[in-house]
Amino acid sequence: MGNELDIDNFSHQLRWMTTNSRSLFVRNLRAFGGGKIHRKGEAMFLAIKDIRKSFGEGDSRVEVLKGIGIEIEKGEFCVLLGPSGSGKSTLLNIIGGIDRPDSGEIIIDGERMADMREKKLTAYRRKHLGYIFQMYNLIPNLTVRENIEVGAYLGEHPLDVDELLHTLGLFEHRNKLPNQLSGGQQQRTAIGRAIVKNPDILLCDEPTGALDYQTSKEILKLIETVNRKYGNVVLMVTHNDAIKDMADRVVRMHDGMIRKNYRNEMRVPAENLDW
Amino acid sequence: MNKRNPLRKRLLRELKSEIGKYLVIFLLLTASIGFVSGFLVADGSMMIAYDESFEKYNIEHGSFQLANEMNRAQRKAIESNGVTIYDNDYIEEELDNGSTIRLYANREEVNKLCLMKGKMPETADEIAVDRMYAENNHIAVGDTIGNQTHTWKVTGLAAFSDYSCLFSDNDDSMFDSVKFGVGALTKEGYARLDQRRKIYRYAWKYAREPADEQQEKEWSEDLMKVINAETDLEDFIPRYLNKAIQFTGEDLGSDRSMMIALLYIIIVIMAFVFGVTVSNTISKEAAVIGTLRASGYTRGELVRHYISMPLLVTFVSAIVGNILGYTVFKNVCVMMYYGSYSLPTYETIWSAEAFVLTTAVPVLLMIAINVLVLRRKLKLSPLKFLRRDLTRRRQKRAVKLSPRIPFFSRFRLRVIFQNAGNYVILMIGILFANLLLMFGLALPDVLDHYQDALQNNLLCNYQYMLKVPMNAMDEEHKLRSLIAMLQFRHGVRTEQEEAEAFSAYALNTQGEGLYPSESVVLYGVDEDSRYIKDIGETDIKVSSAYAEKFGLQAGDTITLKEEYEDTTYDFTITGVYDYIGAIAVFMNRGKLNETFDLGDDYYCGYFTDTPITDIDAKYIGSVTSLDDLIKISRQLDVSMGSMMYLVEVFAILIFMVLVYLLSKIIIEKNAQSISMTKILGYTNREIGGLYIVSTTIVVVLCLLLSLPLEYWIMYLIFRVMMMTSISGWIPFVFSPMLYVKMFAMGIVTYAVVALLEYRKVRSVPMDEALKNVE
Repeated sequence: MGNELDIDNFSHQLRWMTTNSRSLFVRNLRAFGGGKIHRKGEAMFLAIKDIRKSFGEGDSRVEVLKGIGIEIEKGEFCVLLGPSGSGKSTLLNIIGGIDRPDSGEIIIDGERMADMREKKLTAYRRKHLGYIFQMYNLIPNLTVRENIEVGAYLGEHPLDVDELLHTLGLFEHRNKLPNQLSGGQQQRTAIGRAIVKNPDILLCDEPTGALDYQTSKEILKLIETVNRKYGNVVLMVTHNDAIKDMADRVVRMHDGMIRKNYRNEMRVPAENLDW
Repeated sequence: MNKRNPLRKRLLRELKSEIGKYLVIFLLLTASIGFVSGFLVADGSMMIAYDESFEKYNIEHGSFQLANEMNRAQRKAIESNGVTIYDNDYIEEELDNGSTIRLYANREEVNKLCLMKGKMPETADEIAVDRMYAENNHIAVGDTIGNQTHTWKVTGLAAFSDYSCLFSDNDDSMFDSVKFGVGALTKEGYARLDQRRKIYRYAWKYAREPADEQQEKEWSEDLMKVINAETDLEDFIPRYLNKAIQFTGEDLGSDRSMMIALLYIIIVIMAFVFGVTVSNTISKEAAVIGTLRASGYTRGELVRHYISMPLLVTFVSAIVGNILGYTVFKNVCVMMYYGSYSLPTYETIWSAEAFVLTTAVPVLLMIAINVLVLRRKLKLSPLKFLRRDLTRRRQKRAVKLSPRIPFFSRFRLRVIFQNAGNYVILMIGILFANLLLMFGLALPDVLDHYQDALQNNLLCNYQYMLKVPMNAMDEEHKLRSLIAMLQFRHGVRTEQEEAEAFSAYALNTQGEGLYPSESVVLYGVDEDSRYIKDIGETDIKVSSAYAEKFGLQAGDTITLKEEYEDTTYDFTITGVYDYIGAIAVFMNRGKLNETFDLGDDYYCGYFTDTPITDIDAKYIGSVTSLDDLIKISRQLDVSMGSMMYLVEVFAILIFMVLVYLLSKIIIEKNAQSISMTKILGYTNREIGGLYIVSTTIVVVLCLLLSLPLEYWIMYLIFRVMMMTSISGWIPFVFSPMLYVKMFAMGIVTYAVVALLEYRKVRSVPMDEALKNVE
């Protein structure tokens, strides 16, 4: 429990950071062990440190992330909760390397993202990340199978596509185009595309946002299975409070800051979720 | 209250955000419209100047040539048939610059000239020469021209109204403004020339204009009989058959329809490009359109909105194009005409028709095609738009592709299937641009090849045509004719060993429909001829030029007719003789003489490899050497050579613009997928490999596959051109190197576009894929 308290304390401090936040953060980091953050007995995989991000200029400038810090262990299922505009998607995009923070840093498996140039960032996404979006973002002119192959191409040791199609329940639909599929089937295809290369981190941005209750549960079960089976970090952004129960870690955000960050010791299977 | 559609406010923003695309289309349309408008204005103004020149400069209704000067009684007898006869005699001089100049004493009554620069000659050693001839031979006012016996100071450059096209001989395949010119001297200057070499040519004018060509033909046929009866007629050319007068007018007319057709092809292609662009915008804005339609906007309002930009661009292009047409391009086109024809001065005449053809018609074409595309696209229900489901058929099946095909190849194939419509337009565009390019590259090549071929299969180095006096064949005055014939025989006897006599007879093809009647020379050669081999006693062999032009082969029967009579002759071809220099028939001399009742030992010319020096010059009608034969290719080169460069540049421009616009659309259409693949970790190189390489494959295939098609289209166009407007035959030969050149030019041009597209792929932001998240 001590660890959770520490992190709560840490995020509490972060909330009060002001203009000299960076040096304060560094001091705090040092208090936690001098830049390399470790958890007892568990491998630290993803460290998010004091991320700040604002949009707009002058009067219309809005600070969307106000110094976010999170640490995630290998294989952890983390849910980022919060209402619209709380900054959770922006944070996800920064972790995904498709947006850059104004300040702060992200360390993944010991590598600092800030040092990465465009090419390296692409390689980073290629090596570590799988992405799942609310709107699926499938390539409309490719079949189900080919959409999954888009992901498989990127992995050094991708999963077997046919086997995955069976796992996803898409084998019989493998030759269909996205517009011939239901929302659930499309999202399963998107999951297939994300996990086929067996990424270290699976970033899910409201993956059930556009789906009905039953389909949402199916998708959540699938993500849960993937997380268990392949042991990848899952970072899921949602505003559905019920989903937090299936996570190892819950980070609640509000107005660009972390309200709560805790480990969920009593993980509930997706099957048993209800909302 | 007249409410204005608030959507119009988007137009300016749309223009700003897509300025590159609109600018490219605008430039292409403006250049095309401008050039065609300039051409039509120049063509129209020139045509008017040309038409008016008949009256203004009192151009003859025809001319004839006599062996001797006409006496007063003959003149009176002929003029009593309702015509006025004018002296139109000339003397030709070979000049030191290698050209021949036909000199007239300045004609003040008929065939007057239009002085364009300088002044008319006033003294015996002054001369006014044809402006084109002067330009081609770098002669300026103030220069001196001449030969060893005469020199003249050029005082003026002029357009000779009866030589708007410099044909030295009406039987020539092509005019020659380089080696042939006309000049006007003062009466005193003309009198100084060697009068023995005077050609007694007379021009005539009817008392009133013939009502139509048919009447003109009838009148001229009647007149010819009268003149023939009265005089020793050597040559007779009514105006409607005189190429030096008529060719220009015919050419001015035919170019016009070709230019208009070219413009409309470009407009139609660009209209489809706009159609594809707008379709793409509609797909992008599907949700907005759905909302607008759901809120009560009519389909018509949306069609009008989306058609605004294409129309605006076309309209502005048309206006700017027309302004440029009247100012810049008109002069370019006028210079082109002045570069081929010796036309009189013109006045720019505003042509309402040209304006309509280059403004209203392009705009209407643009409206028609875009309304068609837009109505089809906007036919879907608002709900479908809201769901972004723009497929017409609910379940659009994917084309099955075997997973064994490498993934990238399958991906590219999918891109090609997805953009099939774009690629079809691209193919048509490439075909069109490449046709232009082929035309630009082929013409100089064809001419070169023709010159080489002529050189390689000359019948002989010199072909002497003897001028048999017309009175030597006068059936009605047997004695006179006999004496004339004896004199002639004596005068043309040669000791030259290489010289070989032949007989010849000129007939005409019948001429059907679009194809005008054309002169055919029938050669009668000796059986053991050293120049024309393998002509047996019963052989009728047509020259390969004749065979190719009219698609003839052994066994076919040709019907030829006397030029001014109805008599026809049928010949059954026994073979093709390899000779491309003329439309000719080769047969046994005895047989030819017998067929045309010319007497057993009749001959009228010599084939020889070295010049003949011992025959009476007055009996030499003409000497044909290689230089005369390549006249046609030389002139085509002078008239069109510089234009070909322009055509090539224009072709490349069209190619570039089309590939740029259509591949840009493909990238824009797939922006979200491109963005997504970037997020997934694909490198720009890989994405380029998927989306740009697809276009590359299509472009390369188009370039390669269209080549044979282009060859055939070009072959047909060239053939029609040859059949309708040029006598003689130039074979269409397209050397393999030119295919390589065309392909290379296509690829290099495409590489430039591909680089631009690669930049575009790079600039697709990753958040593009996230735009529809919330």
